[in-house]
Amino acid sequence: MTEALAIAVPALPVLCGLLIQLAGTPRAADRMNIAGALATAAVALVLAVVVLTRSATPTHGSWYLLDGATGVFLGVVAVIGLLSALASPAHLADHGHGLFRARRSRAWYYLGFYLFWAALLALPLINNLGVAWLLVEATTGTSALLVAYSGRRNALEAGWKYLVLTTFGLTIALVGILVLYVGLAPHGGVLGTLDWQQITRHAHSLHGQAALLAFLLIVGGLAAKIGWAPVHNWLPDAHSEAPPPVSALLSAALLPVVILIAWRVLDTLGPALHHGVAKTVFLAFGLASLAIAVPFLWRPQAWKRLLAYSSLEHMGVLALGIGFATPLATAGVVLHLAGHALAKALGFYTAMPLLHHQPDASEHPPRSVANASTGTAVAIGVTLGSLSGMPPSPLFFSELLILLGGIAAGQLAVTLIAAALLGLGFLGLTHALIEGLVGGEHEAPWGRGRTVRLAERLAVAIGGGLIALSATAYLLPGWSVIRTLMRGVT
Amino acid sequence: MTGALTWALVISALGVVVVRRRSVALALIALQSVWLGLHAISVASGQSTALLVAGAVLLAKAVVLPVGLAWVVLRTREPQWIATERHPLVRLTLALAIALPIAALVPRFGLLQPGAERAAVGLVALGITIAMVRRPAIFQVLGFLVAENGLYLGALSAPGGLPTFVDLGLVFDLVLIVSVAAVFSAKIHEELGTGDTTLLGGLRD
Repeated sequence: MTEALAIAVPALPVLCGLLIQLAGTPRAADRMNIAGALATAAVALVLAVVVLTRSATPTHGSWYLLDGATGVFLGVVAVIGLLSALASPAHLADHGHGLFRARRSRAWYYLGFYLFWAALLALPLINNLGVAWLLVEATTGTSALLVAYSGRRNALEAGWKYLVLTTFGLTIALVGILVLYVGLAPHGGVLGTLDWQQITRHAHSLHGQAALLAFLLIVGGLAAKIGWAPVHNWLPDAHSEAPPPVSALLSAALLPVVILIAWRVLDTLGPALHHGVAKTVFLAFGLASLAIAVPFLWRPQAWKRLLAYSSLEHMGVLALGIGFATPLATAGVVLHLAGHALAKALGFYTAMPLLHHQPDASEHPPRSVANASTGTAVAIGVTLGSLSGMPPSPLFFSELLILLGGIAAGQLAVTLIAAALLGLGFLGLTHALIEGLVGGEHEAPWGRGRTVRLAERLAVAIGGGLIALSATAYLLPGWSVIRTLMRGVT
Repeated sequence: MTGALTWALVISALGVVVVRRRSVALALIALQSVWLGLHAISVASGQSTALLVAGAVLLAKAVVLPVGLAWVVLRTREPQWIATERHPLVRLTLALAIALPIAALVPRFGLLQPGAERAAVGLVALGITIAMVRRPAIFQVLGFLVAENGLYLGALSAPGGLPTFVDLGLVFDLVLIVSVAAVFSAKIHEELGTGDTTLLGGLRD
């Protein structure tokens, strides 16, 4: 039963993407998109719930792994994918074509979208590093054209930069996988050699230098895809130029699932390295990302670019939590992952009414939204309030858990620096929130068009979800999923 | 694996660093892929699955991708030499300054032949360097192919070779990425009238 669900989860979106090619009209394509997204998300969420309820006893088959991390990441990708699919018709109605010919542009958009989503849904399930790498590379191929979908010069630049930088990063990661495979070959020399359990079992037999080289190359290469500083250059451009539903998928689903692969590498290969080296690499990426992101959160930024730098900040927070590797920090990572995904996705969907009514918001900060559209202002408030870590946002609790986890791990200096940077980030985003809502010249009220209504509904739904997440913060550290995550891949 | 083959692979990669014409660089990459493909077939002789995989890789890398990229090159004629390109000697010096230390510093990690190991790492480094020092979009795609050929050389020298699934998956990903890159290359040319990626400089903070 679970294996059938695991097969259906990536297969359904592929099927949807192909079926939408048969749609005769844009309206039919939109309807098929909504039906397909609901079916895909329902199956993925059922599997996520099944996996989470059985998280105390992780299971794996010939190609899949069902553990606590699978359940959490699968759930997040399913929800964000569904929301982005539901938001896509409103965006496409405003921006019909660009990179592709008008007649087929919507079909191409949905094909790219569903193949991208399928790869993202498959990644948490995959039990093999080599296959995971292939899927991460496939996400680049399927999403690069989506980034450049508008066909504008800046979008072409962003898509090209994303394609080149992440492809070369992944090439470096593949060299690391080759080093690991050669080192482990005496224990197999087949595809199964790169199964997570096999790496855990045999990593200690690797030569120390080879293990370190493999780890650095794999995690360093994946960092380019995650967008960790200092290899983050593609991230602000791609997030700001992609269509908003795709930006949401990039920031709230792609970056975290690639972090999951890096996390599994840490769990399986890390113990073969000198004590603490692997975790130090994560902490270094975390601090670097925070330090690079914070100054940009203080500068007046276009809305989506501000969200992109916020992604850099939050991927840094996740790296710190994983690097601290204590139960408190791990609970914080799980909460942060879900809270960031919801808040960031809402932020990108809010870009749709914002860019519709303030077209120059693609290059300048939003202004005076509070008197122009109460619904959009609420969405901006929920987004930036949450992302800044303002209580009672779940990101306030998750950051607190991660910092407490850092103290528990004995990393006082790193924790203090991180706390200071998070404080500065909070101030930067709060300033952006105030300026966006009430700053600038008085703006005439916007009509309650399709995109404004969408932002309002999503603000209510996602706001409720965020409060529910905050309510779980107290319970999370004792959850069985956290205990299994602490055990690593077994 | 003969020393002559590894030298031929490295010299052809250096050729991509210095040559001016995109078509010549493309021919060098195709040649590199043919050499590697023939080597893969000789390594796989007697094993039907491995032969089939080697044949598929050879077909994809030495025929399908070069023909596809040649089509893009034909459709995107450059009106003039790209002025922002550095002098070939400067590019060669930069490439050697980056690739040689990397090839020397990466410790041995267990491939069957030390020469192949150095050449594989060197080709990956040269591929990345090509993407850094060459301006035309097509050359950046070729840099990726050089790096990928380096990885393929390493995989062929790994004890037992890479698993079939990974080999085929790599080819699939390679075709996907290069196809997407080819679309980008054509669109960039359409937008700018040239493939010079330095003109894509609008996104700055």
